[in-house]
Amino acid sequence: MKKRNSALLMVTLSAVMLSACSTGQNTANDNSNAAAGGVTTIEFWAAPNPTQQAYWQEMAKAYEATNDKVKINVSAIKESPTSEASIQSAIAAKSAPTISENINRGFAAQLADSEALVPLDTISGFSDIVSARDMTKTLEPWKFADGHQYVLPIYSNPMLFGWRLDTLKELGYDAPPKTYSEVLEVTSKLKAKYGDKKYLWAKPDLADPTAWKRWFDFYMLYDAASGGNKFIEGSSFTGDEKAGTEVLSFVDDIRKEKGILSRQVTDPFETGTGIFTDIGPWTFSMWDQKYPNLKYNETYALSMPPVPDDVDPAQSKTFADTKGLVIYASATKAQQQAAVDFIKWVYSDAANDAKWFKDTNLPPARDDLSTNEAFKPILDASPQLKPYAENVPNAVPPMDNAKYNDLQTIIGVEAFNKVVKGEIAPADGWAAMKAALEKALK
Amino acid sequence: MEQRNNKLGWLFTSPYLIYSVVFFFVPLIWTFFLSITDWNMIKPKFNFVGISNFADALQSPNVHAAFWNTYRFMLIFVPLVTVLAIGVAVLVHGLSRFKGLFLIGFFLPYLSSGVVSALIVKGLLSYTSPINTALRGMGIDIDWLGTPFTALFIVGLILAWKFTGYYALIITSGLESIDKEVYEAAAIDGVKDGQRFWRITLPLLYPSLYTTLILAFGVTFGIFTEVYQLTGGGPGNATNTWQMEIFKQAFSNLQSGYASAVALLASVATFISIFIIRKLLEVWGKRNGWV
Repeated sequence: MKKRNSALLMVTLSAVMLSACSTGQNTANDNSNAAAGGVTTIEFWAAPNPTQQAYWQEMAKAYEATNDKVKINVSAIKESPTSEASIQSAIAAKSAPTISENINRGFAAQLADSEALVPLDTISGFSDIVSARDMTKTLEPWKFADGHQYVLPIYSNPMLFGWRLDTLKELGYDAPPKTYSEVLEVTSKLKAKYGDKKYLWAKPDLADPTAWKRWFDFYMLYDAASGGNKFIEGSSFTGDEKAGTEVLSFVDDIRKEKGILSRQVTDPFETGTGIFTDIGPWTFSMWDQKYPNLKYNETYALSMPPVPDDVDPAQSKTFADTKGLVIYASATKAQQQAAVDFIKWVYSDAANDAKWFKDTNLPPARDDLSTNEAFKPILDASPQLKPYAENVPNAVPPMDNAKYNDLQTIIGVEAFNKVVKGEIAPADGWAAMKAALEKALK
Repeated sequence: MEQRNNKLGWLFTSPYLIYSVVFFFVPLIWTFFLSITDWNMIKPKFNFVGISNFADALQSPNVHAAFWNTYRFMLIFVPLVTVLAIGVAVLVHGLSRFKGLFLIGFFLPYLSSGVVSALIVKGLLSYTSPINTALRGMGIDIDWLGTPFTALFIVGLILAWKFTGYYALIITSGLESIDKEVYEAAAIDGVKDGQRFWRITLPLLYPSLYTTLILAFGVTFGIFTEVYQLTGGGPGNATNTWQMEIFKQAFSNLQSGYASAVALLASVATFISIFIIRKLLEVWGKRNGWV
């Protein structure tokens, strides 16, 4: 009896363990419940915020009204612990959706590297989306090192710098400075007038090595200084040493002027502790609620990142905070095609992009955002969005390397954070960072 | 009869057995399996990489930081929480009324969310907070979360605040179990008031203290929420912990195999450390004749 019980226990244990050790993969053709009764059902995972979820639900409903052969289930990506981890778990558990939004280029590279995504350019109808939406130029930098397009950007925020115009006016300026020496001049005047009451750049993230934080400091400045150099292309370090060292020297110079506050401060720009910070268009709805005193071109102004003195400010580039749609390889061919057809339908009408822009403040990833009449009423009503619309083609998306988290952490740990804290000379920081990046890329 | 008892035994132990299989053995074996592969749970195929994940982890500065930070947290947290818990327990034990109410009051932080307490502390230590503004007025300017020692200390302090009430409950029950006659007998034997705590209370409290110390040492191997919210493991790697490192590798870098190797190393470090600490505590107790 004892032996029988022990054997039973062992068999149960083995079965449970073996089932857990399954790689959990299935092929596209295994997924047979997608088309039932001639209706193809696709699962659409929207970004985990109510506005974007509502937008896609409305689009899905409208499309279903025109096409009774497709059913689209829209739900939000779970964020526990992160949306990336939720997608990873879903793929592992064979419950990945057909299509999802909110995917940045670095995460897409991880997914593509793991063969979890379909190259969009291999699905019929993709090129029609690109031409109908007028996004050829915007899409170009999204091409991956293998020549494929895995992500269709939905929105592209050219990240801008905000300046406290009220403080600048007190210092004798009518507009934000555009070059490094002009910014340093503002910093010294600010410190002379306010001492420790105000700083040029007050932001705790400047000293934080978390990977994504480099998008909103180092990359913004680097893209401007280098004319949009990709920094890392595929698995090669292609950083522009002159531009990179100039960026680090600029930050170091501001620090020497005591213009940086990297301590924990709540809303430093909004409260006036800092007069310069990165700003995305999502900020404005929060300001409407929490800081109604902040008025565009009265209390604050927006500008492209400052550039080194020998660079034309009109040529300034910036980081594109941009996310897009991907289609998963685990979906059936019918589901993949249905997903592309749905997206094609959505983007064939600029009014749908206009609705997106109006609902979310996130600039659609289109070349014609500042010229297409469909967006004019929105830009007229919200003039603070105009500089974002105008600079969509000047925005550089994140790297397409699957190790982007490690790589961007290195930028902070080896160079940027240390320069902010005055722990390393700019040239030494650049050299240490370059060596660490090249080692990590091998 | 024996066979019937045997069946009954299996029946009663089966919930624990099933629980252990599902939530301990399967994840453990799964972790072992992952740790020797490069699988990220997405790839259709995986490669066996042998011990390279372990070798990488052993050379990683982040893992070194997590290892040493655990002991740094111990040095701050364990003495602090032990002294505070004993203090609270002694104070509450001396009360004639409302003992339970006070104990519940001290126990409440244990029930509160680590996220909330960390966010409150973050607000209190903000550069522009009234506390820091007042300190700067006195010429004291400290970057609480940006300086390695203060960042470690702040996290240790939050944990001590959280666990003091819980450990005080255990110590209070230990105090309650000491017979008053022991003190009376000691008084007759000439033990002075100042010696009572060291000569009578502490030795008789040893079993409760042993429990709280082991629990407190164990806490330092599982620190996550407070660090995640307050410092993200920084500045530099000054507050990086085992759990923080596992989280970053598994959920930010999506390196499940490597994260599993780090998790196993953390388990080994925890097991060996707790084993040594237990032995030291037992030797300490025996040397003093407390056990």
